[in-house]
Amino acid sequence: MTLLELRDVAKTFGDTIALSPTSLAIAEGSFVAIVGPSGCGKSTMFNVIAGLLTPDGGDVLVKGERVNGTTGHVGYMLQKDLLVPWRTVEDNITMAKRLTGRVSAADREEARAVARQYGLGDFLRHYPTALSGGMRQRVAFMRTLVTHQTLLLLDEPFGALDAQTRLEMQQWLLQVWRDTGRTVLFITHDVDESIFLSDRVIVMSPRPGRVVADFANPLPRPRTVDTLIEPAFIDLKTKVMRLLHREDA
Amino acid sequence: MTRKILRNVGVPILSFVLLLLVWQWVVVGFHVASYIAPRPRQAFLAVTQNWSALWPLILGTIRETVYGFFVGAALGLGLGVIMAKVPVLQRIVYPVLVLSQAVPIIALAAPLVLILGFSVTPKVVIVAWIVFFPVTVNVLDGLTHVDKDLLNLARVYGASRWRTFIHIEIPATATPLFSGLKIGATYAVTGAIIGELAASDGASLALYQEHANANLNTAAVYGTTMVMTAIGITWFLLVVGVEVFATPWQRRTVARRWRRR
Repeated sequence: MTLLELRDVAKTFGDTIALSPTSLAIAEGSFVAIVGPSGCGKSTMFNVIAGLLTPDGGDVLVKGERVNGTTGHVGYMLQKDLLVPWRTVEDNITMAKRLTGRVSAADREEARAVARQYGLGDFLRHYPTALSGGMRQRVAFMRTLVTHQTLLLLDEPFGALDAQTRLEMQQWLLQVWRDTGRTVLFITHDVDESIFLSDRVIVMSPRPGRVVADFANPLPRPRTVDTLIEPAFIDLKTKVMRLLHREDA
Repeated sequence: MTRKILRNVGVPILSFVLLLLVWQWVVVGFHVASYIAPRPRQAFLAVTQNWSALWPLILGTIRETVYGFFVGAALGLGLGVIMAKVPVLQRIVYPVLVLSQAVPIIALAAPLVLILGFSVTPKVVIVAWIVFFPVTVNVLDGLTHVDKDLLNLARVYGASRWRTFIHIEIPATATPLFSGLKIGATYAVTGAIIGELAASDGASLALYQEHANANLNTAAVYGTTMVMTAIGITWFLLVVGVEVFATPWQRRTVARRWRRR
């Protein structure tokens, strides 16, 4: 079943075509990676889907409903964790509820359960400044999870982490995704990351921002570090790299 | 922890003692006449021996300082918020606020007495006049520099503007707000004394000092200055105390036990 659909969605800033008319359908429960260099319109596309930007043309549909320029229908996470320093880990996880209604005892219990399940149970009463970058991103992701949105938009969430931590976080994300069955749209400029995580790799290109390829990812799950050296991985990586490189030439 | 307390409390006390020593040393060493500058002990005694006369005056000054501070702080916060939220208003109001601070405060006292009489009100107005400005400037600055991505995140969640304001923008402005309040707190007592000088018909701490000066009671003059300073410092420390209490995340890694939501 299609959860998210873009129909000829376009966005222009002044003379710059940030996103030329783009159509896309994302199946519920899938993990789709969007890879491309900076300026290819991937973040613009995200902000249009999230409702922060209104498209100049076309429609954004979530579960068949037109949501152009409205918010409240996605979970959303950026490279910046955006944890607020004045709230504890537990209170950061429940932030969405606090901003839209009342944080109930059940919400708090859920936050604690999620944190315990994913290894942050001992840090519930800590302020975010006490946490490492990887831990902060995990808290940010938990905050996104408890919004109970089926569609999660992740914009380079691990971009600021060191390679070791990033690999751990990627495996952790796959585990959470498997546990919760959400639909993930994952932006990255790291080709390895896009292939390692996804069911499907969408390649975008700048000037004007557009989709240039849409690959099904044949790699079996679960994925491990060994996945990174499988022939199918290398094969897909080669295709994506050629597309990205052609643009540079 | 003990080291920290020692550093935060011990060092200021030490520098205060040092100041008294320098005072003592200058007065004694240079044979300064007692009608020009008393020794610290004399100034201190001038306060304690006249405590029963001074205490009501001190209370009066404290009242003016505190009332004026709260009026100024509330006004400053309100103006900062309004200007941050309505940019047009910011362009109109901000120059007027700057102008308000260019007016020599002492020149303001006379018209205030004409308008408000000799009550506590003109003193409160002068204190508020001094206090609101740093608060407004800091709050405005804080509110306009809240992380845009954080505000976008709140929008993505579907948060209302009011809730975003209460749960994101206000706490994000806590640090600059307290900076403004601390600056205001140090100046508040100055405002109260200026008000007392210009707008007192009866008893006040400022007039008490003038009186002592006229009577060549130098020890009392210095003693009163010390009292005024003590009021200022105490008020400043109280504001710092409130800040420490209200922004635990700046010093702690783990929230206090009893702190629920």
